[in-house]
Amino acid sequence: MPYKARTAAFTFLAIGALSLTACGGDDAGASDDAANGYNLVSEGTLTVCSDIPYVPFEYEENGEYTGFDMDLVKEIATGLDLELAVQDAGFEGIASGTVLAAGQCDLEASAITITPEREEAMGFADPYYDSLQSLLVPVDSDIKSIEDLEGKKLGVQGNTTGESYARENAAGAEIVAFPSDAELFPAIQSGNVDAVLQDLPVNIGHTEDGEFTIAEEYETDESYGFAMKKDNTELISAVNEQLAELRDNGKYQEIYDKYFTE
Amino acid sequence: MKPSTRRRLFRGVLYAVFVIALVAVVLAADWEAIGENFFDAEVAREAFPTIITVAVKNTIIYTVIAFAGGLLLGLLLALMKLSPVAPYRWAATAYIELFRGLPALLVIFGFAFAVPIAFDWRPPGGSAGAGLLALIIVSGAYIAETIRAGIQAVPSGQAEAARSLGMGPAWTMISVTLPQAFRIITPPLTNELVILIKDTSLLFIAGMALQDRELTTFARDSVSQTANATPLVLAALMYLIITLPLTQLVAKLERHNQRGR
Repeated sequence: MPYKARTAAFTFLAIGALSLTACGGDDAGASDDAANGYNLVSEGTLTVCSDIPYVPFEYEENGEYTGFDMDLVKEIATGLDLELAVQDAGFEGIASGTVLAAGQCDLEASAITITPEREEAMGFADPYYDSLQSLLVPVDSDIKSIEDLEGKKLGVQGNTTGESYARENAAGAEIVAFPSDAELFPAIQSGNVDAVLQDLPVNIGHTEDGEFTIAEEYETDESYGFAMKKDNTELISAVNEQLAELRDNGKYQEIYDKYFTE
Repeated sequence: MKPSTRRRLFRGVLYAVFVIALVAVVLAADWEAIGENFFDAEVAREAFPTIITVAVKNTIIYTVIAFAGGLLLGLLLALMKLSPVAPYRWAATAYIELFRGLPALLVIFGFAFAVPIAFDWRPPGGSAGAGLLALIIVSGAYIAETIRAGIQAVPSGQAEAARSLGMGPAWTMISVTLPQAFRIITPPLTNELVILIKDTSLLFIAGMALQDRELTTFARDSVSQTANATPLVLAALMYLIITLPLTQLVAKLERHNQRGR
């Protein structure tokens, strides 16, 4: 019955179009916050998207989001005279900037490395953290440096500076990418990988029980930044002012020491 | 007004409402923003060759392995559940209840991380191997119930007739009951296969080497690298390209079977 088939195809297309537009509709929901010129998603509130948890940058403690990124955006929101609302979002939506485009939040604070591709899609505030990479190994391991990884299994977090660093500098290793540290640490505990290369502060957290140790640290010349909608220049410069202020009055150092002192 | 005219009029109104709703939705959408975020041709072109040679290929391989394994395991469990020997029935029931009740993602996590820590034994094939083993174990539980229902749906007269011809119980099962059972359960088995195709997207939790990535992992990686959501749309399209012809094929097979009855 060709007629019936055509109707079915038409219905299918219609449903497809409906669901597509349902995704885009959110954009119109963003209210204009003309009062302060920041174009906020929700008036009087700085809505922040973050992929939680990522210790020590963002995690939940006693029913509240905390961590290096979270403390910084708390200070920034206070400085801008705004309430802070944090939304847990998947890193795909954050890295692609779709959470911004869809009007889900005003700012992304999620240990995001500033890359040229991302700078094309989103507007970044000044870098707020230089990412140091490190190699985590069991204490009794014979891996002492990145050169010893030849033929070994190396765990990295997918789509991070750590992964690109590993691909460039540990070519002989079998590199296995995991979605987050929540899988990386079990992977080295269970012996699925021989070593883990990722952000230094996250690895330091795993040395506490004495079974693992940091073999090496690496500079990467890359830094984290808070991302915002590219055309929201008022908000970007306001955040930059707040960051400069926090560095000047010592607040930044205070927060830094709280999370990154060994 | 004649009832037939009224019916025609009513139908016309329904069509009009549908078209108006469609046009309104199309006009209301911000197509430019949608295009920028989800349909970037440049990004799609870049992702294209690898999405076929790595992602689609692996998705298909993983599905075939998990389905074949699940089918064998499911058959074994179904026969155990119908067994006259009670402990076999108990074991099969316990297995099915356990693995049907757990989310596949958690079972994959368990096989990739908890089993090696507990027993100092790693499933062969690295992370992908551990994930596939978990998928086989989960799909086996579902398929077992489907097969059992299929076997029980075959009229008992068929087996009785075979037995009266002098066939042994095993040969009756293999040559008379099972072929008819599988003919009955073709639709639910297809469902199971389509669900498995999508469940391969859960393997990422076990960790993936570059060449092991399936569609979803590949798309998530590309999103992060290109800062654009187009790879996710591309992956969605690939899943449809795999599943739609497959379901068409099974529908054809089913019609063929119907005629054979």
